[in-house]
Amino acid sequence: MLKRKSLLGFLLGVLLLILSACGGQDSASPSTSSDSSGSDGKRTVVVGGLYDITGGTGDVGTPYAEGEKAYFEYLEMKGGVEGLNLKLIGKDYAYQIPEAQKLYQELRDKEKAVAILGWGTGDTEALRQQVASDQLPFISASYSENLKNIKESPYNFLTAASYSDQGRAILKWIVENHEGDTPPTLALLYNDTAFGRSPIEDIKAYAKEVGVEVVDEQVIDVQATEAQSQLLNMEKKNPDYAIIQQTWGATSTILRDAKTLGIDTQFIGLNWAAGEGIIDIVGADVAEGYMGILSHAFPYEDMPGMAEIKEYLDAKGKTIDDINQKFVQGWVAAKIMVEAIKIAAEKYPDGDLTGPQIREGLESIQNLDLGGLAANVSFAPDNHAGTEKTRLGIVKNGKWEPITDYFSHND
Amino acid sequence: MRNLFVRECGNYKTSYKKDMKLFGTKSEIIKWLILLIILLTLPLYASNYWVGLLTLCAISAIGAIGLNILTGFTGQISIGVGAFLGVGGYTTAILTTTYGLSFWISLPLAGIVTALVGGLFGIPSLRLKGLYLAIATLAAQVIITFIISRWDSVTGGTAGMVLSRPVIGNYVLTSNASYYYLTIIILMLTVLYSVNLLRTRVGRAFLAVRDRDIAAQIMGINLFYYKVLAFIISSFFVGIAGALLAHYTMIVSPELYNIQVSIQYLAMVLIGGLGSILGSILGAIFITLLPVGLTSVVDLLTAYMPDLYQLFSAFKEFVFGLAIILFLIFEPGGLAHIWQNIKNYFRVWPFSY
Repeated sequence: MLKRKSLLGFLLGVLLLILSACGGQDSASPSTSSDSSGSDGKRTVVVGGLYDITGGTGDVGTPYAEGEKAYFEYLEMKGGVEGLNLKLIGKDYAYQIPEAQKLYQELRDKEKAVAILGWGTGDTEALRQQVASDQLPFISASYSENLKNIKESPYNFLTAASYSDQGRAILKWIVENHEGDTPPTLALLYNDTAFGRSPIEDIKAYAKEVGVEVVDEQVIDVQATEAQSQLLNMEKKNPDYAIIQQTWGATSTILRDAKTLGIDTQFIGLNWAAGEGIIDIVGADVAEGYMGILSHAFPYEDMPGMAEIKEYLDAKGKTIDDINQKFVQGWVAAKIMVEAIKIAAEKYPDGDLTGPQIREGLESIQNLDLGGLAANVSFAPDNHAGTEKTRLGIVKNGKWEPITDYFSHND
Repeated sequence: MRNLFVRECGNYKTSYKKDMKLFGTKSEIIKWLILLIILLTLPLYASNYWVGLLTLCAISAIGAIGLNILTGFTGQISIGVGAFLGVGGYTTAILTTTYGLSFWISLPLAGIVTALVGGLFGIPSLRLKGLYLAIATLAAQVIITFIISRWDSVTGGTAGMVLSRPVIGNYVLTSNASYYYLTIIILMLTVLYSVNLLRTRVGRAFLAVRDRDIAAQIMGINLFYYKVLAFIISSFFVGIAGALLAHYTMIVSPELYNIQVSIQYLAMVLIGGLGSILGSILGAIFITLLPVGLTSVVDLLTAYMPDLYQLFSAFKEFVFGLAIILFLIFEPGGLAHIWQNIKNYFRVWPFSY
């Protein structure tokens, strides 16, 4: 009996030894391949991407993702970045936070990404603690004011004015341009997500400061196809202006239903509620006079930064009619990230680039000229909000027209 | 030495003590030991990515076992699991972040608070059955997420709260492997508890309530007590899973606990096998890994057809749904039943009739 037991123990011991030996190999392998320079002598830098293509915000998420991919393709087309083998590996997470977490792990552990281009507010906020402990710089398409908090999100960067700053800019414009004897009144229309509610408290606080009265708030689902009851409620308070924090789908619903109900409130959308998609969905006559934040340029605007995009489109046999403003937005986000990688690569010529080095690169970006595609951005170790500036535009004759230049509510 | 591959056949138990043994034969003990060793040594040879995925599987398995105690054993459908996960997550977030309590104290407290909340929402279960109860638990889902996202001063509203990883002495469980060990140990304890629960008086009462509640009541089982108890025990484990998930992702936000999560957990229990502990674990692994598998299939296909990424991505949801439907049609007994069939096949081979 004793013999049997000791035999069993011996076998188990051997098994453990074998297993730990396997483990040893595994843990040893990264150190041998830490210098991942390929046969061409270039250092590989992998940037991870989280896209929403099939999810709730896929209407604006798809062109944004295409813009990001296009910029990396453009770089490759132009011969890439000196000494670097830049790669963007992105996946669709369908606006599901648990899915984003799984994909993030995959990008980090399997693809060995050293920086991430993200998407939504909910998932960016859900990942901020994780990216901080993994030290991966994260540029998101979410401009939530929460991400400005360096203590809680030390690796997140905002590449355009935050939603709150966009709201403040609208309020400043309202105060300066309001006609009539009574003080301006305002309603807020948003969805019940981290994205929708992100700027609400800040807008209300700033409205109080500048003397705009917030008379009503309505929650409208991000995928709503009907909003008449909320709009009827809002109409009772008869606000002069209404700020919309949605993406294209729900914004179109609001505009269409407002037209049906004959509401004459001036609707003004934050950046994801503005763009060509609105006009495409509701038609030029309904969209006429709708205003919105234009954080980025339209493809048809004559901007110096557009030359690169045109060059890319020409090579692909496409024209500017194939893309829209959200494409430009994705392009700009990718461009800013690559800029940081370039700076980091110059500063640290040896070994693989790491997350903290790219963060340093981002933090040393000063007044980066984006050729009018977006407001110039600057970062610093104590400031990860790229800019406070944004533009306002209006739909005129079925086309968005900017009515201001890039400005900040602090100007 | 007796042949390890000779299986138990027939029932030769001569005492109650033998009947109650958890592991009937030596080969069974060895089988479980080997499984245990594989589980405990996994981080040594699996990549970091897989360890992370398996941690998520283990956390889901704890929640799925909790739900199975309620739905599979006691026959009460619940669509509020997502919110109960949230209660667990927010409890530990508030206790550790706001009040500075240690994780090791806040973890059981998260379970207890969720158990209390679950018990509260279980009270209507005496009057409501089947679909009616399902809708009542759906109300729990709505009410709880509503409270979480509106009670800004405590929960931080939609922005959520930031947590930190647990600490043992001076060692922080930041690595995937260390957190994997934490969850796998808690999963084992959960399995041990729930397997034993079913062998007790309470467990038998649960089964009686599930099979025919009126008959159970005639036999003297206090329906109200056991129905609410099932909610309490089930919610305790869901709360523990919620707390583990919160410390794993290091953030809680109301969007993490929406109705989709509830449905996913229900799918885990259904696909794994109603009323089976093994089934809960298999279901949790299946539902957690299916999207990952589908994503890699999409990646593989896109390598050949890069322009169709968008189409394939949209197709992923479709395949996910289809897989679940086919499962329910062709194997309503779930993965646990498939596993049982495979075992039976080898046990009686080559004389299958």
